Amino acid sequence: MLLASREIRRAPVRFGLLAGAVGLLIFLVFFQQTLLSSLLNSFTGALQNQSGTVLVYSSEARNNLEASVLSPDIVDKVAAVPGVGQAGPLGAATMTVLAQGQQIDVAVIGAEPGKPGQPTQLISGRPATAPGEGVASSETKSFAIGDAVTTAAGGSPVTIVGLTAQSQFNVQPSLFVTFDTFTALRKAANPDATMVLPSAVAVIPAPGVSPKALADSIDAAVPQLAALTRSEAVAGAPGVSSTQGSFALLLTLAVVVVALVTGFFFLILTVQKTAALTLLRAVGAPASYLVRGLIQQVVLVLGVALLVAVGLLLTAAAAVNTGLPLTIDPRALVVSTVVVVVLSLLGVAFSVWRVLRIDPFQAVGRPGLGGIE
Amino acid sequence: MKLALLELRRRPWRFAPAVIALVLLTGLLLTLGGLLDGLYNGFTGALRAQPGALLTYASDANLSVVRSRIDAATIAQVERVPGVEQVGGLGTVLLGAEVPGQATEASVALFGYQRAPGGVPAPPEHAGQVYADTSLKAYGVKEGNTLLLGPQRYPVSVVGWVSDTDFLLQGGLWGTVETWREVLGSARPDQVLASGTFQVLTVSTTAGADPARVAAAIDAATGGKTQTVTRSFAVDSLPGITQQRSTFNAIIDTTFFVAALVVALFFVLLTIERVGIYAVFKAIGASSGQLFAQVVLQAVVIAVVSFMVGALLALAVGSLIPPQVPLQFSASRALQVAVGLVVMSTLGSAVSLRRVVRIDPATAIS
Amino acid sequence: MGHHREAALKLDNVRKVYRSGDAETVAVDRASLEVGPAEIVALVGPSGSGKTTLLSISGGLLSPSGGRVVVAGDDISGYDPKRLTRFRRENVGFVFQSVNLVPFLTARENLLVVADFSRRDKKKSKARADQLLAELGLAERAGNLPRQLSGGERQRVAVGRAFMNQPDLVLIDEPTSALDTKLGEQVMELIVTEVRARGTAAVIVTHDMRMTHFADRTLTIVDGILGDPATS
Repeated sequence: MLLASREIRRAPVRFGLLAGAVGLLIFLVFFQQTLLSSLLNSFTGALQNQSGTVLVYSSEARNNLEASVLSPDIVDKVAAVPGVGQAGPLGAATMTVLAQGQQIDVAVIGAEPGKPGQPTQLISGRPATAPGEGVASSETKSFAIGDAVTTAAGGSPVTIVGLTAQSQFNVQPSLFVTFDTFTALRKAANPDATMVLPSAVAVIPAPGVSPKALADSIDAAVPQLAALTRSEAVAGAPGVSSTQGSFALLLTLAVVVVALVTGFFFLILTVQKTAALTLLRAVGAPASYLVRGLIQQVVLVLGVALLVAVGLLLTAAAAVNTGLPLTIDPRALVVSTVVVVVLSLLGVAFSVWRVLRIDPFQAVGRPGLGGIE
Repeated sequence: MKLALLELRRRPWRFAPAVIALVLLTGLLLTLGGLLDGLYNGFTGALRAQPGALLTYASDANLSVVRSRIDAATIAQVERVPGVEQVGGLGTVLLGAEVPGQATEASVALFGYQRAPGGVPAPPEHAGQVYADTSLKAYGVKEGNTLLLGPQRYPVSVVGWVSDTDFLLQGGLWGTVETWREVLGSARPDQVLASGTFQVLTVSTTAGADPARVAAAIDAATGGKTQTVTRSFAVDSLPGITQQRSTFNAIIDTTFFVAALVVALFFVLLTIERVGIYAVFKAIGASSGQLFAQVVLQAVVIAVVSFMVGALLALAVGSLIPPQVPLQFSASRALQVAVGLVVMSTLGSAVSLRRVVRIDPATAIS
Repeated sequence: MGHHREAALKLDNVRKVYRSGDAETVAVDRASLEVGPAEIVALVGPSGSGKTTLLSISGGLLSPSGGRVVVAGDDISGYDPKRLTRFRRENVGFVFQSVNLVPFLTARENLLVVADFSRRDKKKSKARADQLLAELGLAERAGNLPRQLSGGERQRVAVGRAFMNQPDLVLIDEPTSALDTKLGEQVMELIVTEVRARGTAAVIVTHDMRMTHFADRTLTIVDGILGDPATS
């Protein structure tokens, strides 16, 4: 440790720059991950946050909640399938509402009180139980408890009684209401409509039944339906499935670049020290000692780099305005960190190999003759 | 004899780490750009293609095509506004289409149109005929296919192709107004519109008229029942468009910055290694400017070579991605990345300038 | 020989002082010397005597702390670094102790590097380089990289490089320190032949007294003070 820390102390600028540079690279991975997952979350947050662990769409809806239309008797048919604990209609529609004097688009989601489809996590207030009440998502800060919200087309106002987070749908804030309220709002928005139909059935399996198994039995029991587990619905939602694979690819590329570059930087540092390292070997330092010193430096630099990366991420999250609420997912970041560190150490392995390869005899050879090396 | 180029040619492995990193960064940038462009085109194609400078929505629709309703009486009012040359009605319905021989359904946006958008022929002769966007080929659609739309499986037949007319990432189908109304009634009985009512209007202004003025005039003439905007404004107001663009651009800009950083660090370390030989050059009379020019030249060459290899990498990656993913490579995006990479590389190499200047020729003599 | 030109080098009370904190080191103490237009002067002294510093000042690699330096009529004492760079490019040639060839350039290219920096006519420079290489017995090795040349051959390439810009003065630092006696003699002979053939002046710094017979004149330097071995 002595040699390694002495070297760092002697050249703090060089190692500081290195840690800063690697930190910036790691930040790139973090930033990308955060932005992409926030983008995806803004499409499907509301789906994730509602209580139905199985969602049943019409079979031609292609996982698109807003394109899904079911006839009212479907709900009963689904409820009759063995393994179903609770089932209720889920209505989803985008409407323009007036909130705090501003016209904004919201995804209105209607579910019957006590039935699946209610938001699972509130950050304040209480769920909507009576007609005319609603729970709004808080990302755009357009709603406050007690607000009266009316649709642009008119109709009776909805009073906000609770707020949720991470519940956007199709990049819009969501408004959870009772199914009756949903029906009334739809009729007010389109007087031409002949009827108001649910978009999906939200289902909670009976105890002991897994969502996947239940989804399969519903599919088998009732024709022209597509039953999905909640996570499948989130992964398969339009705007998500088509881009998720690409996002994974982008992240992979970024991680590989970061690992390569980090390994390369350490290689350069090792090469520069070749003369000193050779001398040390010549006077009897074991190779393992030098390698250990190198690893210690790498770990130290990576540690500082991670601090830099996290700092940059927090700054960027506060400063960058992409029109999206940025949600930092610590678990995903930890995974990325582990991957980057492992790959960086692999990259450094090449430097290690070079150190091991140093021939102490070189130190007593004649000094560089006739050339600059 | 160019010193910088000779070194690149004689000692290519010395530059390999920087090149590899930049190749991967190029691949990343082109893929990011391609995804952004593909998403943008897939969301906005149908609107961008519309004829006329203006689009008129219902004022309570908040610029949503799907929720906007404009009845025949209002349309007549719009037509009479001075400065308005031609008005066309447009309606759409988003639904799933069963494709013959395919297991998965395609997502489509069926349009009924009065005035043909750019690249689209006049409405088909018969009801039930549609032109299909070429993006639907990725879902197995072929000319002559009969697609079954919506839960009631309404049949339409594909009689021709159009391109870049998708809407909200759903494949564009272009048919007569009657076809659209029937499909709407079949698939979305709760969204049916009265005959003569459309969702949006495409408005062409007379030559010499100021579109902004005409837009205001239209909204005034309808008593505030309409909201008329320019086509580009309407495109930008589609849900998620601005968020997608700013998200991707934030990542792209950070990646460019990282490229500059990689080059900067690489050349700083390279310059440190070359201190001895630079001292000799200065001793025999080379100026710092001449030496630095060599560094910049190497940075530019590295950027160009990396870009070319990276572009091949991106194309290879693109060919492996399933065709349903909205990834579109374009020459303008490629040029943007190339120029950006060269600029960032040059800036990165500039970081070594101070170090080069500080080298003392006297150190050449031990 | 026998041109009535001005002196190739004139040092007038040149001083070089290094300061570190409060301490002052005098590397060169009031050195004066004159080198004729085609004269070869050997400068002999132990290591640390200031001979390298004196050589560097003479060639415009260092600015003196005091005194005047005149090379072929140009007073370079007060030149700023930029001007000194141009001066070195056009007027002097160096042969360094540790040869310092560019490892990825061939022998010929190592000579042409000089022309690259002075923006001379490419064709003329190529011809000149080939001529020098021929005179130095390296015509066959012109396309070889330094690692493919022997120690003596590399030294000769360095000598050739010193003459590429047709200098008024060639400054040579310990040319034989890394070579054995026989090779050293050969290299010195070559240097002297070239210098004489072109009527250039040369100052050779060496600690090896056996090489001084190649020079017209020998001066000694000890602790920064110049002296003539004949008089000391």
